[in-house]
Amino acid sequence: MTTPYLRVRNVTKRFGHFTALDDVSIDIHRGEFVCFLGPSGCGKTTLLRAISGLDIQTHGAVEQDGRDISALPPAQRDFGIVFQSYALFQNLTVAANIAYGLENRKRPKAEIQRRVTELLELIGLPESGPKYPGQLSGGQQQRVALARALAVSPGLLLLDEPLSALDAKVRAHLRDEIKILQRRLGITTIMITHDQEEAISMADRIVVMRGGRIEQIGAPLEIYHRPANLFVAEFIGAMNLLPATRIGYGEIQLGSARLACAAEGYAPGAAVRAAVRPEDIVCTGKTNGHANSLRAEVREMEFMGPFFWLSLGGGELGEHRLRAQLPSQRARDLDLRANDATHLHIPAERIRLFPHGVGHG
Amino acid sequence: MAELALAAPRIRPRLGRDEWLMGGGLLVLALYLAVTLLLPLALMLAKSAQDRDGAFVGLANFARYFGNPALSGTVGNSLWVSALATAITIALAFGYAYALNRSRIPFKGLFRLVAMLPLLAPSLLPAIALVYLFGNQGVLKGWLFGESIYGPIGIVIGSVFWTFPHALILISTALGTADARLYEASESLGASRWRTFTTVTLSGARYGLISALFVVFTLIITDFGVPKVVGGPFNMLATDIYKQVVGQQNFQMGAVVSLLLLLPAVLAFFVERWAQQRQISSLSSRAVPYQPKPRRSRDRLALVLVVTVAVMILGVFGMAAFASLAKLWPYDLSPSLRHYDFSATDGGSWASYGNSIRLGLYTAAFGSLVVFIGAYLVEKTRVAKPLRTATHLLALIPMAVPGMVLGLAYIFFFNAPGNPLNFLYGTMAMLVLATIAHFYTVGHLTALTALKQLDPEFESVSAALKAPFYRTFWRVTTPLCLPAVLDIALYFFINAMTTVSAVVFLYSPDTTLASVAVLNMDDAGDTAPAAAMAMLIVVTCAGVRLLHVGLSRELLNRTQVWRRR
Ligand SMILES: Nc1ncnc2c1ncn2[C@@H]1O[C@H](COP(=O)(O)OP(=O)(O)OP(=O)(O)O)[C@@H](O)[C@H]1O
Ligand SMILES: [Mg+2]
Repeated sequence: MTTPYLRVRNVTKRFGHFTALDDVSIDIHRGEFVCFLGPSGCGKTTLLRAISGLDIQTHGAVEQDGRDISALPPAQRDFGIVFQSYALFQNLTVAANIAYGLENRKRPKAEIQRRVTELLELIGLPESGPKYPGQLSGGQQQRVALARALAVSPGLLLLDEPLSALDAKVRAHLRDEIKILQRRLGITTIMITHDQEEAISMADRIVVMRGGRIEQIGAPLEIYHRPANLFVAEFIGAMNLLPATRIGYGEIQLGSARLACAAEGYAPGAAVRAAVRPEDIVCTGKTNGHANSLRAEVREMEFMGPFFWLSLGGGELGEHRLRAQLPSQRARDLDLRANDATHLHIPAERIRLFPHGVGHG
Repeated sequence: MAELALAAPRIRPRLGRDEWLMGGGLLVLALYLAVTLLLPLALMLAKSAQDRDGAFVGLANFARYFGNPALSGTVGNSLWVSALATAITIALAFGYAYALNRSRIPFKGLFRLVAMLPLLAPSLLPAIALVYLFGNQGVLKGWLFGESIYGPIGIVIGSVFWTFPHALILISTALGTADARLYEASESLGASRWRTFTTVTLSGARYGLISALFVVFTLIITDFGVPKVVGGPFNMLATDIYKQVVGQQNFQMGAVVSLLLLLPAVLAFFVERWAQQRQISSLSSRAVPYQPKPRRSRDRLALVLVVTVAVMILGVFGMAAFASLAKLWPYDLSPSLRHYDFSATDGGSWASYGNSIRLGLYTAAFGSLVVFIGAYLVEKTRVAKPLRTATHLLALIPMAVPGMVLGLAYIFFFNAPGNPLNFLYGTMAMLVLATIAHFYTVGHLTALTALKQLDPEFESVSAALKAPFYRTFWRVTTPLCLPAVLDIALYFFINAMTTVSAVVFLYSPDTTLASVAVLNMDDAGDTAPAAAMAMLIVVTCAGVRLLHVGLSRELLNRTQVWRRR
């Protein structure tokens, strides 16, 4: 593997006695799209500001393209940045905003103009050059901010919740655009978000953070299907977390049901938590054709359009509650209704175990 | 300990060009404020503990001061007169503000305007008008039942007049931020009007009232103009300083009295800041503006009050204007401009008017420049946090320093043997420095407020684009803050035109000022020319104010396209 483009090594940031970042290390490769994801206050912005030099870390190193930039002021680093608030210069036209960084490099006027036109087309606003930011919609303004950051062709693009101020439709649209743009330009990008859907759909890799520490780094699929700990399991997507007991070899007892799963690392009799995604629970109705199955009753059914939310309990589950996603078509086939009893199949490889109570937020 | 020992070395951020320039700028500003503010004040503190020959005598001067009833009696005088005048001002201003904010009287804009007029005049003007109204030859002399206007009565009335708008602004702001939901809640709970008034209105405005109380008290007790003109034999602290310094050349005793004067001002400063913070935090962003419903009895009462106060204000201005235009008061009242020809008078001239204009323009230009750049550096410098805090604190000091005290401190400092800045003594430059220092705080806070309204990430974006900070400051920050800069310039100009207290110690024969001329002409018995000069100041300030309105409107028009959000 080639050496990483950006290396964050053992970065710690303290504000007085408060530790906002605690020994954080990440390697990011050229052209990669990385999302920082985590609850509010977990240190995402702090990490981004350390990387940009806007707020330098107290300890640790940042290397970009083989150069140690740990202590450099932002003006001596190579990055473009976009904020949630757009931070467009309201008194300058859209074209002047985009040209702002270029003018500074003393390029000839014609060249600047060509580049601005090019960028306006890139963001799909070819006519908006003479307008002022206040005359544009939020989504359009954010695109201008993006163009302004990209104008000087930085090696690294930093986005701090660029989509949070926009409404859902615009957000989804701009999400795709940013992703396409990033692919096309091949620019190494870090985006902060606390919207997991955004992170999953956009990122090559996701960095899940909590309390100033990194909980897991991985591709979206990996984070989703193989969460490293309880926090990640709960934070990303919907997840059932049920107390269970490890019994015989590769088996757990959940309520009065016995289910097979990978249980290495847990002593027999150990209390564990079994994590199962709602969409991994297969409803088989009255038939019980699978090995890894248990019986339960449908307590509630909530119609969501393409699927139902099922709330299951009783039967072999006993006191426990399980949420499952049942495709609408399958519900029709099974003719399933509230209070019906049903068999549930949970594939062994879809059950993950975590130590009981540890790492719980 | 172990952790610290093992930990990697702490990163020492390297400074780029921007950081050096901004940090350097901040340092220059801090030094500027130290020289024009801190050192003079420190020197004055030292003087109060020295004898005439400069030998250290500890608290002997203070002992002498308090041992001499003729001197220390002034403290009592100042306290009770200021307290009385403050009480009247606050009561009137509260009523006026209540009428403007919580009733349905007509012509609110006009009444607001009239109430602000005293800001355009030196405090000497109401005092002179009072002499014409109630003095020995006054038109309304009978109204005083034989009492003399020269003394506490005159000081109280004059003080109420010129501090009224200050109180009104503070209380009006507090009342203007009322939350309608509280009123609805109170009404739906069946509370009586009186109870609603005391629990909702008064308690909502209490921080505004407290801060107005202290600010007005300080303005009055440190004011020099009113007691100088209508004080007569009645001594106040501010006039005492003047007598000690100008009359008896006893600078040490002047310093002692100055320190006494500093006490209420410093106290007011802290109370004001405390109240301001409370006021802000009690204002929730989801408050619903209160719309008063018509109620005849209340509205009629409000109208009577507002009209009475407005008529009195206009009456005072009218009296001064009339006196300045009457040929020979009170014998020949035919109109004439002879009092505006200052050549016959002692202590006043058109030259001093010209000097005042120059002082106003210089102060406005340099003052707004220094203040705005200074506030920018304090707010936006990424490095040197302690220096930023220190500079900000320095910028707040002038609020707590009465003009007389600053003026005296300047004498000590610029006159000190061996001070390389000695050449400035008695020049226009020193007057400009003193006036900027005197009125620094309000400008600083105005600029900070404007800067805080901008997106905090402009500087981050600019650094990422490798644009030097001064380019963004010039192309983005300044244009966006221009209305605030204009406000600051206007504030400096009007105060430079009307102030007496600091500059009265500092002018020289070449730099006489209009406001000081008013004082000196009045002192020499040329009361009508004094009134004429005071009116000249008022008219000039009003003109500049109108110019400011025009400019601001023009600016808004031209920039309307991008001001839209
Ligand atoms: N200048 C500062 N001084 C003191 N504490 C700070 C400062 N900046 C951030 N913090 C603290 O550091 C922690 C991390 O803040 P940060 O802004 O990085 O969070 P975040 O993950 O970006 O959150 P959000 O999703 O809300 O933007 C928070 O607890 C915050 O209160
Ligand atoms: Mg953040």
